[in-house]
Amino acid sequence: MQNELKLNFDKIISLNNFSDSQKKIKQENFNNYFEKGLPNKRNEDWKFSDINQIISKNFDNLNFIVDQKKIFEEKDFPLNFEHNKISFVDGKLYDFDFKYEAKDKILVDQNLDLDDTINQNTLLNLNSAFLTSVSKITIKKGYNVKKPLILFNYLSDGLKSSAINSRVDINLEDDSSLCVVSFLNENSEKNFINFRQKIKIGENSILKNYSLDPNTSENIKYLNKDINLSKNSHLEYFILSEGSKFIKQDINCNLDDEYGSISLNGIINLENEKHHEIKTVINHKKENCKSYQLIKSVLNDKSKGIYQGKIFVSPEAQKTDGYQLSRALLLNESVEFNAKPELEIYADDVKCSHGSTSGNIDENSIFYLMSRGLSYSESKKLLTNGFLNEVIEKISNEDVKKLVKKLSGINV
Amino acid sequence: MDSRQKEIDSLKDYKYGFSTDIENTKAPKGLNEDVIKFISNIKKEPQWMLDFRLKAFERFKQLKEPDWQKPKYPKIDYQDLYYYSAPKSMKDKPKSLDDLDPKLLETYKKLGIPLQEQARLNGIAVDAVFDSVSVATTFKEELTKQGIIFCSMSEAIQKHPELVKKYLGSVIPTTDHFFATLNSAVFTDGSFVYIPENVKCPMELSTYFRINASETGQFERTLIIADKGSYVSYLEGCTAPMRDENQLHAANVELIALDDAEIKYSTVQNWYPGDKDGKGGIYNFVTKRGLCKGINSKISWTQVETGSAITWKYPSCILKGDNSVGEFYSIAITNNHQKADTGTKMIHLGKNTKSKIISKGISAGKSDMMYRGLVDISSKADNSRNFTQCDSLLMGNKCGAHTIPYIKNKNLKSNIEHEATTSKISDEQLYYCNQRGLNQEEAVSLIVNGFCKEVLQQLPMEFAVEAQKLVGISLEGSVG
Amino acid sequence: MLSIENLKAKIDEKEILKGLNLDIKPGEVHAIMGPNGSGKSTLSNILSGKKGYEINGKVTFDGENLLELETEERAHKGIFLAFQYPMEIPGVNTNTFLKTSINAIKKARGEKELDAIEFLKLIKEKSAELKFDEKILNRQLNVGFSGGEKKKNEILQMSILNPKLSILDETDSGLDIDALRIVSEGVNSLRNKNNSFLIITHYQRLLDYIKPDFVHVLKNGQIIKSGDFELAKELEKVGYEDFN
Repeated sequence: MQNELKLNFDKIISLNNFSDSQKKIKQENFNNYFEKGLPNKRNEDWKFSDINQIISKNFDNLNFIVDQKKIFEEKDFPLNFEHNKISFVDGKLYDFDFKYEAKDKILVDQNLDLDDTINQNTLLNLNSAFLTSVSKITIKKGYNVKKPLILFNYLSDGLKSSAINSRVDINLEDDSSLCVVSFLNENSEKNFINFRQKIKIGENSILKNYSLDPNTSENIKYLNKDINLSKNSHLEYFILSEGSKFIKQDINCNLDDEYGSISLNGIINLENEKHHEIKTVINHKKENCKSYQLIKSVLNDKSKGIYQGKIFVSPEAQKTDGYQLSRALLLNESVEFNAKPELEIYADDVKCSHGSTSGNIDENSIFYLMSRGLSYSESKKLLTNGFLNEVIEKISNEDVKKLVKKLSGINV
Repeated sequence: MDSRQKEIDSLKDYKYGFSTDIENTKAPKGLNEDVIKFISNIKKEPQWMLDFRLKAFERFKQLKEPDWQKPKYPKIDYQDLYYYSAPKSMKDKPKSLDDLDPKLLETYKKLGIPLQEQARLNGIAVDAVFDSVSVATTFKEELTKQGIIFCSMSEAIQKHPELVKKYLGSVIPTTDHFFATLNSAVFTDGSFVYIPENVKCPMELSTYFRINASETGQFERTLIIADKGSYVSYLEGCTAPMRDENQLHAANVELIALDDAEIKYSTVQNWYPGDKDGKGGIYNFVTKRGLCKGINSKISWTQVETGSAITWKYPSCILKGDNSVGEFYSIAITNNHQKADTGTKMIHLGKNTKSKIISKGISAGKSDMMYRGLVDISSKADNSRNFTQCDSLLMGNKCGAHTIPYIKNKNLKSNIEHEATTSKISDEQLYYCNQRGLNQEEAVSLIVNGFCKEVLQQLPMEFAVEAQKLVGISLEGSVG
Repeated sequence: MLSIENLKAKIDEKEILKGLNLDIKPGEVHAIMGPNGSGKSTLSNILSGKKGYEINGKVTFDGENLLELETEERAHKGIFLAFQYPMEIPGVNTNTFLKTSINAIKKARGEKELDAIEFLKLIKEKSAELKFDEKILNRQLNVGFSGGEKKKNEILQMSILNPKLSILDETDSGLDIDALRIVSEGVNSLRNKNNSFLIITHYQRLLDYIKPDFVHVLKNGQIIKSGDFELAKELEKVGYEDFN
């Protein structure tokens, strides 16, 4: 695979008209990846999900050059609310529509501004090496985007064994707000998706970011998000992790200034042999910031769920309030749940705690429901739905909340 | 005058920081097959023991020193250490305490360890390990009557080879990690305990470790076997003199509990932590592992870790027998430049196994404290439970407190619960205590002892009092 | 015994006490009444030495400059504050706390510390006097105590430490009528010609049980009127709003 990869890389360089500095950054990224390869379980961050093994198990060969056929089914999601949209095909910007918004307040743009510093995460190296464009969304100062923005990701029909890299940068200028929902339309065969988002939230701004994975697919996905919060800004993040064969959400939040706050919630709801991981790092850098995380998992069949969450509090970040809770229900004897809730604290005047529970469903509750006439499986369904619904209720956008309930079938 | 004042100042800080001027027999510096043979030879070990050591050494040569731990330390030159040091007068081991070098007795008296049998009032049988050699074991006769074997490891190798052969390395194999394997190759002495079937050991057994010689690594090996239906409570205490260089302490402790047996292992570790600027101190890299081999067996670790420059250890339980129970109670305190990376591993293999982890970490000064733990419930361990509570207390904002639990559950009939908090002593609490007449240090000591109470309660009486004082002393000067 | 002259106090640039004067002689019981935010709790905090205030003025206790002393030194000299919100200290047994406290004070005064037996005897005696359930003393200090239990515990501590000057900061708030009576009896039993009390309260009802010698009205950081028990009755009728 390595030789082919090199050919792929050379090809992408020769096919595109990159500037010299872009070429240089790409080459450095590629070299770092080439030297180190994909992360494996010896890497602490990948202890529970050996991506190297997962990729080699699922793909004999991966194609890094995607010939964009642009033939795809623009499948309608059950969106019965007004929304803005941006569509991407095979990771590249395709179309956008902001008919509900003031025209000059939202900028959608493409460039190839890659980071100068070479990341040590080799998946990000791959991403930078093979990207042909970065999509940029800017919300202008003081503008509150009225309707939710849906990011539709389509893949060309019949696309398979391809590595698709994408990067979207979102910049909320000061005093603005935005609600984003990301989807991947799964009409393709098995591919490796490596998507990255870099987000900056300006002072007094609010971002609601919902990352949904409702549809069953064979795709292997790595979703990396870097989010920086300015003074007095707020991030609401929600994950619905259900459909794909493998997903790792790798979320890094930096509370760069005072009074920032984060509410990060997620559901891992799995069947068959799916393997999903949510990994978060919340970096408290300044005083008086808050972060709250709630992750719930329900595991069926032979599935595997992982939550790795870290709260880091730097010495300046006094008066930090950090909380993290992970709860998992194991519903079959072949499932596995791993958690690593981590606190790393260097300031003394803080309130930080975490909790983690994993175990089986309460048989007494099942018995109670059955005594009221429900079957065993109905009772179980009701209880697990109730368990997960607590997380969905944390979604503050009502339209999105309804959508998530519909997509997940969790409605109690 | 100046140097004297210095001495006084430093003594004030570490009560046990004197060194005893005793002539030592040392193995040549360095680590090689000859040194291992020297150790084995001087202890008149049988061939199988030497083979055990050499096998470990072979393995050791292939191992890399781990570096994933949080506290980093300068590279240790393993060729620049002495691996064997014994007081010269021990060469012909004394037959009774009366034959002991008076200087040694004096040392233990200073430490408050009663070696003389007259001190039987305390009701604790003591095995004292000075540098690498067990120097005295008390109450032997009384224990022998009940069939209990409590002696030095060297003696056990000679007198009870069948037990040692069967169990040594059965929990910590010679192929284990770097430091454990090093210990298997070069261990010098330690304590050996065997409690026969259905015997409840009538008194606390205790080992007192002291590192005296400089440039000496201490590698003891402790092996405790509790046969079916037996019970033993074992205490371990440690001190070392103050020296500018760092000293390595890499002990191995293996516990085996058979059916219905219970072992309670308590440690109060007060090795020299280094001075206020972080110079000197012990590297305490210890491997402690207990195997609940039989059904209904129980192993309980309690530790109070206040000393050492770096503490890096995870007393663990392998819960193999059905219905077996593992417990870990820990207080770890770091001050000045001390660092600790400690916690436990609870490996649930048998059905209906239970484990409980209570960890209290306190960091002050410029120190760094880490709780790292693993709870692993295998797919066969039906109806197993774990409860973990990790609390950290920070004093000042130049120190750090970290919690990394690894939680793995592969069994739907089993539950794992983990809770952790980080907090500080509130000004309001201090004010309340001050208003009742307590000064700042008394108030801190009281509140911290309250914070640690759940763990202190686990210690045997005699140790609990000592530990409570240590908690206060270790934090002196940390609140200003 | 206690003399306060022109006491001014600020916290976070906000002036709370604006020139307060008060004299308490041995054996006297003074009540300070005032609406919320009048500076009542600030006064008790300053007298017991809580940090964080910017203080001007003069406070002497038995002729000594009180403001120069640390909180615990004031306790050693015989000042006791019954807290409005007693702190919870997890893991610390109430008995242990009481013993540590009384012996710290005895030690500072150069008196002989109590051994376990003497201490238990004292506790038994005082608990009986106050009809205080001893069982509570084996629980963690104030942890899980009801509001009434916390306040009773404060009064028990007061009676064990036998202070010269007891300051009761809104001890009556949140108490039912029975608890109120027990608290008052505790205070009354300590009353003698040497011990003085400063009772800070919002309502008159506590004063029905503990008849004060003097009543002062605190408003906007100053004592605006002083009188005898009749003043409390008048206040109750008129209310703070219209009281001038």
